[in-house]
Amino acid sequence: MSAYLRLAGVNKTFGSFTALGHIDLEVEKGEFVTFLGPSGSGKTTTLMVIAGFEQATKGEITVADQSLAHLAPQERNIGIVFQNYALFPHKTAAENVYFPLQMRKVGKKEGMKKAEEMLELVGLAGFAHRLPKELSGGQQQRVALARALVFEPDLLLLDEPLGALDKNLREQMQIEIKRIQKRLGVTTIFVTHDQTEAMSMSDRIVVFSNGAIEQAAAPLDIYHRPATRFVADFIGESNLLEATITDAASGKAQSPVLGEVTCGAEGMPPLTDGQAVTLLIRPEHLKLSREPKEGRQNAQMVIETIVNYGDNAVVIGHAGDQQIRVRVPGADVVILKEGDSCHFSWTADAVFVLDK
Amino acid sequence: MNTLMRWIGIAVVIFIAAPLVIVVPMSFSTAASLQFPPPGYSWGYYQQFFSDPSWLRPAWNSIYIATMNTLLTMALVVPATFALVRHKFWGKSFANLMMMMPMAVPHIVMAVGYYSYFGELKLVHSKLGVILAHSCLSVPITFLVLSANLKGFDLTLERAARSLGATPGQVFRHITLPILKPGLAISALFAFIQSFDETVVAIFISGRNAETLPRKMFDSIREEADPVIAVISTLLFAIVFIGLLTPSLIKLVRRMTGSPQPK
Repeated sequence: MSAYLRLAGVNKTFGSFTALGHIDLEVEKGEFVTFLGPSGSGKTTTLMVIAGFEQATKGEITVADQSLAHLAPQERNIGIVFQNYALFPHKTAAENVYFPLQMRKVGKKEGMKKAEEMLELVGLAGFAHRLPKELSGGQQQRVALARALVFEPDLLLLDEPLGALDKNLREQMQIEIKRIQKRLGVTTIFVTHDQTEAMSMSDRIVVFSNGAIEQAAAPLDIYHRPATRFVADFIGESNLLEATITDAASGKAQSPVLGEVTCGAEGMPPLTDGQAVTLLIRPEHLKLSREPKEGRQNAQMVIETIVNYGDNAVVIGHAGDQQIRVRVPGADVVILKEGDSCHFSWTADAVFVLDK
Repeated sequence: MNTLMRWIGIAVVIFIAAPLVIVVPMSFSTAASLQFPPPGYSWGYYQQFFSDPSWLRPAWNSIYIATMNTLLTMALVVPATFALVRHKFWGKSFANLMMMMPMAVPHIVMAVGYYSYFGELKLVHSKLGVILAHSCLSVPITFLVLSANLKGFDLTLERAARSLGATPGQVFRHITLPILKPGLAISALFAFIQSFDETVVAIFISGRNAETLPRKMFDSIREEADPVIAVISTLLFAIVFIGLLTPSLIKLVRRMTGSPQPK
């Protein structure tokens, strides 16, 4: 195995509270992995255990087959970008970036030169002599990134680094971080609770919930083939419907809301007759129409709310007790009215089955 | 409403500042005793102050005692503040209360206590006695200023420094200490002023050997109302004023000359 970072059975308890159950994870060298989950799900705790600010109660962490167990944070050679950037307010941008080199006994002249090169790489040439308070949020973010990378760390950890930025800057920094990470090839762990951020940046997403890993897979796998109901619900928008498998061989299931459904999405878990399952249909895979559509499976709903996003809209309706969300192109939404009754339809390859 | 508030504010400021306005002109007076407004102006009493050993000796005593007091207070309060702000331990709130105690107990009560207690220890009429007593009185204000600073200190900065390769000692030297420097300077200044200004305990225990300036002033005003008192008051005011203004002045000069910020 060529795993670069390996967490084996990592467990962390605070008194009687279990923060991390039993974390097993392997990360390849150069990989960009995102820890995604709601707050309190254990993603930041895992990060802090890797960084050495928290001690694992049980389990082992290795980087390149070397155990981190007896290394203090300053001996781990891990670069961290904190949520609030944690720039040293009494040092200029260049001095901040020079700091890790100074701690590694790199001379001032050589170190400052390297620091300025790093600042150039993150797009801050000419800002070297500014104090943090004289920089904007996005610029401070870049300084923090440069500081965490300048000493060529074995790992780069980013703890919700974009949380404090506004939307446009966020997207710009997502692209920027990804560009720099690719260029330097540093193994990176990025913690966020923002699923679009996770989707757009990661090689692999690790979904956390209640101190355990729900699923670790590529972004599109997570989206199209979620391992659990939690993942399906947490990532993207979803319609989750109860059903029972009636004919496993042909993928037939009976749902109280949709009637008989044929399930045919790629990569489904093996099914057995009579199995209670949850069906997942993404809102963008549903279509709305006045009349049932030929060649598709159809059901009826009453429109309750229309949420308009301009280029598209989400139509929320009810089929029996079940809430149904349908994403439609923005242009289509004008013919729909709240309170209208209509049909929604789908094809077999849009229906994914989750083990209940 | 707004104008009314402004006038009330100005009236309050004038009322509070009035003693300063009266004392400063009196120090340049030609009158034989304290008199306002002065009949004429001269440097006479300044010359008298700087040439009379009976004034200069208490002045040096005060400077020596205040300096020693500042060193001792800081040596006690800095570690105590770190412990009380950053750590949880049994009896912490009691320790917090004890730190503030000297502020709550009237100085006269403390003074009587020191007088009889230090008498036993042969510390009355000694500089050491005054220094010890003043340190106790300086602890609360020093602790207040410093703990406010330390509470506002972002601990992630220390974590960041650790992750960048600094040992705890290096973190303290390169990050914590420089960032807290203004707070340390101000709390030390408060300790110094507290001692320099303290009168009640000094009257009780300083005696002839360790006579401080406020004590000498008190004795003098009782006996003769010597206008040298106004000189000393003006000098003290000027020193404290300059002390408080220095940081802003440094900033202003830097901005005007455009030289880079300190490292």
